[in-house]
Amino acid sequence: MITYIIRRTLYMLPLLILVSLISFALIQIMPGDYLTRASMNPQITQETLNQMKARYGLDKPFIVQYWLWFKQIITKGDFGTSFETMRPVYWTLFMGDRLMWTLIIASTTMLLTWLIAIPLGIYSATHQYKPSDHTLTFFGFLGLSIPNFFFALVVLWVLVAIFKVGNYGLGVGGLFDNRFIGASWSLAKLGNLLWHIWPAWLVIGTSGMAGLLRYMRGSLLDTLSLQYVQTARAKGLPEHAVIYKHAVRNAINPLVSMLGMSLPGLVSGSLVTAIVLNLPTVERAFWSALQMQDQYVIMGGLLFFSLFLLIGNLLADILLAWVDPRIRYG
Amino acid sequence: MKKLVLVMAALLVVFSASAIVMAQGYDAQPADAKIIPLGEEGTAYENQEPGVQGGTMYVAAISDPKKWNYVTSHETSTTQYCFLMLRGLVDSNPVTSALEPELAKSWDISEDNLVITFHLREGLKWSDGEPFTADDVVFSFNDLYYNEDVETDTRDILVLPDDTYPVVAKVDDYTVTVTLSMIFRPILSSIGAPILPKHALAQYVHKLNPDVPVGTFNSSWGLDTDPAELVGMGPFMVESYAPDQHVTLVRNPYYYHYDAQGTQLPYFDKYVVLTVASQDVSLLKFRNGELDALGIRATDVPILKREEAVKNMTVLVDPDVANYGTSWIGINQDIGLAEGTYENLRALYRTRDFRAAMSNLVDKQAMIDTLYNGLAVPQWSPVSYLSPFYAGRDYYGGPVTETDAVVFEYSLDKAAALLDGIGIIDRDGDGWRDYEDGTRVEMELNTNAGNTVREGVSLIVADRASKIGLKLNFVPVDFNTLVNKLFASTGEMIVLGLTGGNEPNSGANVYSSGGGLHFWHYSAADEPNELEKKIDGLLDAAVGTLDNDEAFEIYKEYQITLANDDLGLVYTVNPAFTYAFSNKVGNANISSPVATPSGNNGLTMDLCFFK
Repeated sequence: MITYIIRRTLYMLPLLILVSLISFALIQIMPGDYLTRASMNPQITQETLNQMKARYGLDKPFIVQYWLWFKQIITKGDFGTSFETMRPVYWTLFMGDRLMWTLIIASTTMLLTWLIAIPLGIYSATHQYKPSDHTLTFFGFLGLSIPNFFFALVVLWVLVAIFKVGNYGLGVGGLFDNRFIGASWSLAKLGNLLWHIWPAWLVIGTSGMAGLLRYMRGSLLDTLSLQYVQTARAKGLPEHAVIYKHAVRNAINPLVSMLGMSLPGLVSGSLVTAIVLNLPTVERAFWSALQMQDQYVIMGGLLFFSLFLLIGNLLADILLAWVDPRIRYG
Repeated sequence: MKKLVLVMAALLVVFSASAIVMAQGYDAQPADAKIIPLGEEGTAYENQEPGVQGGTMYVAAISDPKKWNYVTSHETSTTQYCFLMLRGLVDSNPVTSALEPELAKSWDISEDNLVITFHLREGLKWSDGEPFTADDVVFSFNDLYYNEDVETDTRDILVLPDDTYPVVAKVDDYTVTVTLSMIFRPILSSIGAPILPKHALAQYVHKLNPDVPVGTFNSSWGLDTDPAELVGMGPFMVESYAPDQHVTLVRNPYYYHYDAQGTQLPYFDKYVVLTVASQDVSLLKFRNGELDALGIRATDVPILKREEAVKNMTVLVDPDVANYGTSWIGINQDIGLAEGTYENLRALYRTRDFRAAMSNLVDKQAMIDTLYNGLAVPQWSPVSYLSPFYAGRDYYGGPVTETDAVVFEYSLDKAAALLDGIGIIDRDGDGWRDYEDGTRVEMELNTNAGNTVREGVSLIVADRASKIGLKLNFVPVDFNTLVNKLFASTGEMIVLGLTGGNEPNSGANVYSSGGGLHFWHYSAADEPNELEKKIDGLLDAAVGTLDNDEAFEIYKEYQITLANDDLGLVYTVNPAFTYAFSNKVGNANISSPVATPSGNNGLTMDLCFFK
């Protein structure tokens, strides 16, 4: 197992280098560069633009730019500097508490989604084709099909225009109400944070619920039709023991690998919701770099997300071996 | 003993109270303080009122600042904070736009108009309590703006037409001279660039501190700098910043502006700018009472107007006042020149009457009604509406008496007649107009995809053109692709806009024949036509006089020549200046997008207060 993990980890390096080369090429193919916007400012002269181009190294050919960037990483561990903030790439992406907030928001959302979707999936499978099964499926797919940005905006609009939460001194969007900005941590501030985060749970959670619910339902139905379940029933085990002790434990296997693969979703994948609900997340910094063509921040972000994806996949495989003794890696 | 304790306690209370007063910074008023005569008859501020200190104002901004360093900044999400923290020698009055003293209390101009002597206000302090002197002024220009190691676009504003810079020299602690190699009127306002603190920043400049590497200054005062290290002369200083959340500013205890009652400005203790990336959400937050003022879109006005009475707020819209900037259709007279292609189209684009016909096809009223809910102003001039040099104010401001505005009314008949006149007629009866050789006139109209207003403008123009048999194909493209088309001179017709300001000379890079943004006729750099020579001459003449009235007359001719004869750009419409504010905010009626230090809502933040 240990050698397997080491081998998988070593495989990641060439993959990451390939990813970086392809991403760098893609950025170069995009029309224009970081200075394109500045070139439309009537007050900036061509000489200044040329000076800036040289200073940022944008006048060099693509492969030279890539090599210089790559050499910096190998020799100094320096992933480059953001053109916009003149700060290191990873500082620009993670500054403040962006990474922390991203992980908090995403992991709580994921936890809640799983806690709700798994029991509902079991319920759905054990009540197959009954009205309650159809109802659950209907709402699951409703949540999946409403676009997140729209749903988030509707939630805020309902709070403001229908419930008029402003009259009770409650704000919408962001992490805290105005009065808690700069205040030290207290129970009231924590409560206020929860008030601002539940729309994110609702919006991101409902979009992930349907898939999980249907997976659980399908997987459990498969298991329930197997002979050993029949045997368990035939020997007179109570129904709850048949389902929870025998069927669910086996049915949950495919979901465990899903859990590992949803790891990259922790740091990317809720961009639109974060924008509408005004949450400070890493992908917002990445998004703004994309808009400005701040190329080294884009590269840094892409590498970071790819690394998360690779680690997620590895974890999924390890987890699977751990929960299912039948799986062995050599 | 008890008595002693009591006395000590009393003394302690008095001391701590005065310590609090000191900490809050009600510093003694310096003799040279700048007095803002709020509410006094006969002054620019007669419609405002003196306020009271205290309170926190909340507004929203669409994106985060990128740094705190004004010198190296390129965009407004950063400069909006720099303008609150820093002041220049002179600035525009927020109500009248007239130039007035700021850090300088007065200035003299020598007989030959080449030496400007600035007399600085004495006894002013930076926000950290250090004295402000001529050294800071000399440092800002000679060691920052003119320093080749420093990345700044302010240098491009300060350069004179003969490629020299105004020489800034210290005479004594409170006198500075600015010597010019030639008369250049716009320098009077551009010399008002923010002044930076020498005592705080000299350490980052390689020239003054060889211990640091070249270029260190370019990354100084970044977002990771402790806000306590930021020093300024403006009304507010940054206190804290949370990415994607907020920037909190706190009053500068040493700010030198006072109202006539002797109250130090700004009135607010704090000013908080929330980062709200979506304009729909900032509108909701304003309606929810979380924001005290909001810059709004024309499409938001109906919603807010309905709630005006209930929500105790005011929506300020003047449908006759356009914001800064220009919006236009660029017609590329050099299309295919380098490749020797597009012969017919190039000849057509170079015909003045064709461009005039295009001007007649711009249905400005339809654009104003459908794209801006009626809240936009037809544009005809290259000079921004709010500039004192704008030649058409009489026309749009009131009844037309003597019109200086060149107005191409929307008229399909006139456009058709102009096209008929230059031989662009339907020759094969298919409903589309053809060149003399019988090929159909077919053109591509581009704008940047995603900008719904520009897409709307393009669609309206293409639709009206089709009504008189002129085939315009609208193709939206990515913004950077569009810019590349402009610079490579490969676009046919492009709908776009540019920023503008008070001084028409800021457009010299666009309208002069050799300008870097003269994208509709780049070949003019080598061989300008008669009109372009005339425009170059007018631009030079307007900056060669210090007399504003004379400059106004020159710019008037410049505007009429460009709009009526040259027609390099066909103008469309410009959005009106709109914003909304809570009724508890006093002096919010200075609706000037000019004013620095202005918030992003056009409110002059140092004058606003809570009633």
